[in-house]
Amino acid sequence: MTILSRRQSLYLGGGFLVSSVSGLSFAKGVDSRKFIFVMLRGAMDGLSALIPDDERLDALRGDILPAKNERLDLGNGFRLHPKLEDVHKFYNSGEAAFIPACATSHRERSHFEAQDKLESLGQAGAKDGWLNRALQVSDKGGLFVGRAVPLAFKGEAPVRNWSPPMFDTPPDQLLDRLSNLYQEDPLFSMSLEKARNAEGFDMETTKRESRRFSREYTVALSSLGKMMSVENGPGVGMVALDGWDTHAGQANDLNRKFAALNEGLAALKSSLGQSWNQSCIVVCSEFGRTVAANGTKGTDHGTAGLMMLMGGAVKGGEIHGDWPGLKKADLFEGRDLFPAHNVSDVLKSVLRDHLGLDKRALDKEVFPNSGRGFDGLIRS
Amino acid sequence: MSLNGAIALTRFGMGASPEEIASVSASPKSWLLGQLNSKNAQSFDTQGLKPSSEIFKLARAYRQDKKNLTGMAAQNANKDYSQAIRRNFQQEILRREAHATKTAAHFHERLTRFWSNHFSVSNRNRQTRLFVGAYDREAIRPFIMGNFQDLAERAILHPAMLSFLDNYNSIGPNSKAGLRRERGLNENLAREVLELHTVTPAAGYSQADVTEFAKALTGWTIGRREREPDKIGKTVFEGRAHEPGTRKVLGQLYSQKGGKQALKILSELCLRPETAQNIALKLARHFHSDTPPDSLISALKNRFMKTGGDLKEVYKTLIHAPEMWDAPLRKVKTPQELIISTGRMIGLERVFPRRSRDSYESLAQMPFSAPTPEGWPDNADAWLGPDSMMKRIEWANELAGRLPSMDARVFLKSALGARLSEDTLRSVLRAESGQQAIVLALMSPEFQRR
Repeated sequence: MTILSRRQSLYLGGGFLVSSVSGLSFAKGVDSRKFIFVMLRGAMDGLSALIPDDERLDALRGDILPAKNERLDLGNGFRLHPKLEDVHKFYNSGEAAFIPACATSHRERSHFEAQDKLESLGQAGAKDGWLNRALQVSDKGGLFVGRAVPLAFKGEAPVRNWSPPMFDTPPDQLLDRLSNLYQEDPLFSMSLEKARNAEGFDMETTKRESRRFSREYTVALSSLGKMMSVENGPGVGMVALDGWDTHAGQANDLNRKFAALNEGLAALKSSLGQSWNQSCIVVCSEFGRTVAANGTKGTDHGTAGLMMLMGGAVKGGEIHGDWPGLKKADLFEGRDLFPAHNVSDVLKSVLRDHLGLDKRALDKEVFPNSGRGFDGLIRS
Repeated sequence: MSLNGAIALTRFGMGASPEEIASVSASPKSWLLGQLNSKNAQSFDTQGLKPSSEIFKLARAYRQDKKNLTGMAAQNANKDYSQAIRRNFQQEILRREAHATKTAAHFHERLTRFWSNHFSVSNRNRQTRLFVGAYDREAIRPFIMGNFQDLAERAILHPAMLSFLDNYNSIGPNSKAGLRRERGLNENLAREVLELHTVTPAAGYSQADVTEFAKALTGWTIGRREREPDKIGKTVFEGRAHEPGTRKVLGQLYSQKGGKQALKILSELCLRPETAQNIALKLARHFHSDTPPDSLISALKNRFMKTGGDLKEVYKTLIHAPEMWDAPLRKVKTPQELIISTGRMIGLERVFPRRSRDSYESLAQMPFSAPTPEGWPDNADAWLGPDSMMKRIEWANELAGRLPSMDARVFLKSALGARLSEDTLRSVLRAESGQQAIVLALMSPEFQRR
């Protein structure tokens, strides 16, 4: 029995013939497959996260990489940053995979444009994002944890939004009085009632913690996990974590950032509970960073970057795709990791195999500029 | 006290300060008409704020210094530079909010902010971040009482916009620079000028129109040459990057040479009815409500068309439009409008519980950081979702907890005058504490609307 959401029916009625709807055959509440996009703004240094055993890199990077004996071995010519301990565990239990050299079509190395590109992945000048277009062809709900819904989630499909508070939580008694005051005002009363009924997060644990950097990622990711794993919780979620633009003194900076990210991802796993087993989490940045260190013990804007896939649904314990290598001649413009894979192709394959979204809709609507795609990123 | 006084100060202005409703009520329209004067732009205190060209030079000097530095020295230079840029940015925010909370001509201020948002640039772009405050002062504020065409030209060719939408690096493929393959054509600015700033997709332009306009715009860039030191960081036209030849945009041929070509295209775009419609709709939506009456939109559009985009005349139509004096007021304040209107009542220094940054961040509207080239959204859907609602309450609650005792009734009466409803007054009177009364007042639908 195939149950289509209202949006899908509209979509089908809109002139698109969907050749196969097998992937859409799940009813709300029964299927608990979750897709989560974790965007690292500022261009995370993929070569510090997933470090190839290659003397060239150590020579070009000087002392800004973690010491060799501290790197976490994956047993295949790559090692993880020592602070990514839980990610290492996920990898060993077959719940994390990496695609090391991915990029959008952006080549100008501007954060701002590249982030827009990564979030849109649509036709030139598109004002909506791929996550929203994906919602439009699925029966999942969307949730953004953060202050303002970003471009990736902008579009026609409704998206819920919640952000960790910066100030104290107002007492219930005050909220009751406001509910009362808003009785004659449908806009205000509806908004307040929805806010009061928002499920799945615990105000007390998040209160003020979000103000402290070390906990910021964890608060966002665990809130997201909690809100998604409640019954009928949203199936598609996103958080955006700032602070990855490491132009100077990046060794210390990345120690802190990777520790925070690692803690956040571990917290996401525990907050998802059982849903972790049916989750796929994609972590990536707008682009990678230069292979060589710059004069300020950091790295500058590069091209290809690392995509990390995590969760019980991921076919993990392996590195997917091609490794373009670090010989001078193999680098893009002689300085950056070569973009061997298109971000769109990876995302398309994940949404197809994990959420079962229609292939034709993915090709035409969600990722109009994508190519062939990947096989075997998701457990069958 | 008349309802019209309250409407003038809140629907047109940035919110009443104590006693202001009483003084404006005698003749609200003349209070508004009196502000249609470019002298108001000069009252903005620019002392100590850096012009965009100076900031550009600062950034450039840092980039050059950096090349000769290594190790700690390089890291320190990086820290100093980042700090200088951050401090400058903070200064711009503080000065602008201080002006908005203190000025008597706050309809003028609202219009400035409206146009800043129409021609939006944002500190999300690293290069543009340097200029966002200066852009407001140099390209928008002095020109909002003139002709739309002139304002558009100032905004679009300012270094902030040239960097924000990449025109400063756009090179005509057949220009001298292009033939040396220095870089390629970038269509960003052309696309957004058509889509957002002027005619909108209603004009039915094609991708070819975008490309043609982008070619015409090549050459307009930011001065960077050592041998022309007085042009560094300023808008310049460089012929060697300009795509030669005649351009065709929306069916019109443009054979002008050099920089004049893009200016001619822009000026014709500015005069088209689709542009008039775009500006009329945006003004009506901003000042009246999310769904303004058609009669108001057409009145504004007609005035725009008839006067060739004379903005002062369009504002007069807005002031005299009967629809603008209807009640109740429906428009939900943006976070910045909420903060400024609160500041006008109780003083800005009392508004911010800690750093101003926390308030803007919590309410998700940090100044000068609009999320897209479209600027900040201008509808309640974007600003009053469940999460935003809770954040407003948290903010009001935090603020009220830190204020010295204050009578919420006095606050409401002086902020809202005749707009204050029985329900709100009753609710505030029944509050269990002075603090709660303030939260209820700040969060009342009337104070949240304008």
